[in-house]
Amino acid sequence: MTHLLQTVLLGLLIGGVYALLASGLTLIFGVMRIINVAHGVFLVLAALFTFELWRRFGIDPLLAVVITTPVMFAIGWVVYRGLIARIRTAPVSMSVLLTFALAITIEGIMGMTWKNVFRSVTPGYFNESFHVGPFFVPKPLLFGFGMAVVVLLALYLLLTRTWAGRAIRSASENPEGAQLVGVDIRAVAALTFAVGIATTGGGGSVLSVLYAFFPASHYVWISRLLGIVVLGGMGSIPGAVVGALLLGVAEALTIGYVSPRWGVAVFYVVILVVLLVRPRGLMGTRLREDVAA
Amino acid sequence: MGRGSEEGRAMMRLRPKLVALFAVLLLVGAACGGDDEDGAETGATGATTGTTGAPEGEPIKIGISLPLTGDFSQPGGAAEQGYRIWESLTNEAGGLLGRPVELVILDDASSQDTVVADYNRLISEDDVDLLLGTFSSLLNIPASAVAERNQMVYVEPAGGSPDLFDDGYEFLFFAQQATAPHQADLFVEWVLSLPEDQRPTTAAYPSQDDPFALPVIESLRDQLTDAGIENVYETVYPPDTTNFDTIAADIQNSGAELVAQGAVFEDGVGLVRSFQRIGYNPQVLFQTSAPSNSDQYAEGIGAENTEGVFYAVSWHQDTATPQNAEFVAAYDAAYGGIPAEDAADAFAAAQVLQAAVEAVGDLDQVAIKDYLHANAVDTVLGPLSWDETGAPQGQFLLAQWQGDQAEIVAPAEVATSETIVHPKPEWAS
Repeated sequence: MTHLLQTVLLGLLIGGVYALLASGLTLIFGVMRIINVAHGVFLVLAALFTFELWRRFGIDPLLAVVITTPVMFAIGWVVYRGLIARIRTAPVSMSVLLTFALAITIEGIMGMTWKNVFRSVTPGYFNESFHVGPFFVPKPLLFGFGMAVVVLLALYLLLTRTWAGRAIRSASENPEGAQLVGVDIRAVAALTFAVGIATTGGGGSVLSVLYAFFPASHYVWISRLLGIVVLGGMGSIPGAVVGALLLGVAEALTIGYVSPRWGVAVFYVVILVVLLVRPRGLMGTRLREDVAA
Repeated sequence: MGRGSEEGRAMMRLRPKLVALFAVLLLVGAACGGDDEDGAETGATGATTGTTGAPEGEPIKIGISLPLTGDFSQPGGAAEQGYRIWESLTNEAGGLLGRPVELVILDDASSQDTVVADYNRLISEDDVDLLLGTFSSLLNIPASAVAERNQMVYVEPAGGSPDLFDDGYEFLFFAQQATAPHQADLFVEWVLSLPEDQRPTTAAYPSQDDPFALPVIESLRDQLTDAGIENVYETVYPPDTTNFDTIAADIQNSGAELVAQGAVFEDGVGLVRSFQRIGYNPQVLFQTSAPSNSDQYAEGIGAENTEGVFYAVSWHQDTATPQNAEFVAAYDAAYGGIPAEDAADAFAAAQVLQAAVEAVGDLDQVAIKDYLHANAVDTVLGPLSWDETGAPQGQFLLAQWQGDQAEIVAPAEVATSETIVHPKPEWAS
């Protein structure tokens, strides 16, 4: 029983981290119908920024978010204006091609800048745990979970309590209507993309502490994140959270009780099953409204 | 970095990429018209040639294709450096057969198709006199077929998958000490040499499902189990596994005193981090290639936690092997720092070809391959010799982290440290 509870606990914690990593991806899809395959590469880029801040200035990776989030926001804005805006009216498949090309390009630039070597961010708590009775709670995982709660809460408040958030939601629910009442759809799109990329600030910080990473690490992540958003329902942030928690627990249980061999496969099996049985995912039926709700 | 580590890592990069693509294509559906999305295929084939004249006469041209871009670009770049150092040292020392050597290096962009085109071009258009191999089993398998068909000797620095030696090629030689199943032989010898009261009685064998890590661990497991060390845990996990806390806890529960992990890199760091978090410290810890990534490994698990970790490796900068000191100094002068293991392996492959050509006295490919099948050659890795399939017949070196750096602890003749740390000290944190 202890083993089961411990496994579920670890699964929930990692699931929270997965939710953080997937939130920007699903936000961008929900509002813009863009499958941003480069989301993983932005996470790794943010992790590399975190690494630099930690190595050069000794800034704790969790505090570094204060710097990396606006930086990633700016990068997202520029990328949208310079690149993504050009395919606004093109079919979804174009966004996959474009962002895949973008991912490969950024990976190449990261390889040249930081070399193809593994980086690790190892603040004092990276290999420590809290021990509670028979259970252990890895500190970096717990802090990562906390980061996820903070970022997702901030995202929620942004979308529901600010004018910009309402503009984003209205643009996703009814673009024509939003335009009629004076919402600048193009500015909203840029804002949404930038906010989606800004979430990689927190995600990259957590990633950098939990794992050794290098430029090509993003392939591992984008595959998983797509599994999460497909399960939750493309475009639904609450769906992504539920999907991430479910998949975190499913992965941990599979590793613990079936075989580590199938742990990673869970993500891909889920994509197939969801597409076959419920193509809109768990919470995708009210897809547009769910973007912010 | 080890052949196993680099190659495994590169393959690991490729697999998620394909899976990601697959997932994306599923999402997009059939409407998507793109068919050229694979990053591994990007990058044009470009040629670079280098000439360092000193000796007399027409240069001997040696054709090589390397993955200078794409998935294997990091080890491919290191291999190029190793080859270039050999080229300049050889020309400074009077060349080969009194003639200068000139390397013709093409970029295969880590693509199996391009590597085949490259070697065909080197042989038929560039009229090279000799060939040297590329990096990784993935690329060496098709490339060695081209060489074999053209009856040209093909010494390759990095491709130890048993598959390479299944086709009975006569012109293929792998210029490292051992194929994957024999990498840990010296570690087994050391474990079994321990007095009864110090020898671990139980062992756990987690391994990545990797063509270089897994055979090492399977062979190691069989040898230790036969010797009476009880196998209390084994598992195989896929390359992009990131979650090691559950595996670590299961190993702790198994009570294993020895852990031997088939670890490429992140998985090696990941499992050790999890061990630290749950407070589990095995008496003996062996990992296949993760610990050979010196700085990256120390950074990943904390330098103070490396003490006592074992691994198998083909080369070390301090061993007293032929030309090793010269190689290390020339590398430092040219590129700065200590060469990567991949650079040393490439240098050794060139040494093998050089030794055979000099022994034969001309460029007769059949005589060169016959010589290599019959003789051992001294290299920076130590002596190498081959069976009739071109598979090497030696042993990898056994290395151990001691005092923040990697030392060779066996075999005795090339050891850089006379002590072996045992049992492994507690984690530092």
